[in-house]
Amino acid sequence: MKRRLSLLLLSLIISLAAADSGLMADGAWVREAPPGASMMAAYLVITNPTDRDARLIGVESPAFAQVMMHKSVTVDGMARMLHQDSIPIPAHGSVALEPGGYHLMMPAPDTRLRAGDEVEFMLHFDDNSSVSVTAVVRKKP
Amino acid sequence: MRIILLLLATALLTACSPPKPPQLQQATLLPSAKPIADFNLINQKGEAFTLDDLKGHWTFAFFGYTHCPDVCPTSLGMLGRVMRRLNENLQPGAMPQGLFVSVDPQRDTPEMLAKYVAYFYPDFIAATGDPAEIHRLTRQLGILYVKSAGDKDNDYLIDHSAAVVLFDPDGRFHALFNVPHDADKIASDFLLIKNYYEASQ
Ligand SMILES: [Cu+2]
Repeated sequence: MKRRLSLLLLSLIISLAAADSGLMADGAWVREAPPGASMMAAYLVITNPTDRDARLIGVESPAFAQVMMHKSVTVDGMARMLHQDSIPIPAHGSVALEPGGYHLMMPAPDTRLRAGDEVEFMLHFDDNSSVSVTAVVRKKP
Repeated sequence: MRIILLLLATALLTACSPPKPPQLQQATLLPSAKPIADFNLINQKGEAFTLDDLKGHWTFAFFGYTHCPDVCPTSLGMLGRVMRRLNENLQPGAMPQGLFVSVDPQRDTPEMLAKYVAYFYPDFIAATGDPAEIHRLTRQLGILYVKSAGDKDNDYLIDHSAAVVLFDPDGRFHALFNVPHDADKIASDFLLIKNYYEASQ
């Protein structure tokens, strides 16, 4: 009974959190920076259950001085990172920011983040909505 | 276990007939291994790193830069998995070396590189050096890199070849692994290449 109640509460909280936008972010993680690395990358999945195409137009985080949107592409064997002004999330679709593709890129903070640490990101979309997501720092290639 | 069976099978086959080139999943073998002209880089301890350091063991090499937070850690983490996988199958003396060459000597110092590569695998080595010397090595391998603009004026990114290069114990350019990389396939390809090489000696 108690468990069912907390499940109910949880789904209520989730639906409340999504109420202002419809866009959802989950699975967020930050790759632990190897020692000496000055840049870090973060990954997550953004889902757009609405009828309208959306764009991620900016990201902020209290943990980082700057959050850039990038895309890694490999063309003819050459890996390059391209700056993105926005990242499209199609209606009734989702976009995965994942290693070797779209990613958030941040200068590493002075205090090194360790696996298990949590950082917040605020995602801003072109419909003026914002979604906040907690990312876990993970030691993962 | 499958790798061991595969090895046994190849060993048996090669015992009865002249060696046949192995069937590879990810590696592209050079038609004939390409000798490399000497180069003069600096390793992660600040010591000279030259062609001699490629001789006497196999070497996996990857070319990148530490300011690269997406592709380079992914590739080095993958190479770390290749080494751990090979560690289960090879005597320590038969292990290949893993080499990270920084094509960004302006920002990557040997001290930084030492800590950086050890994070992915304790025995990884790193090298960098004078831009002309880096180019002297990379141009023999078809490895390309070029600076591109970053998000800030004082910053830059580097577009670079994503391939992993394999040198044989004679220090020759022996094979190339193109993206996408799969650690298990690279490890089993390596064992086949190594066996074939030893059977052909
Ligand atoms: Cu990036």
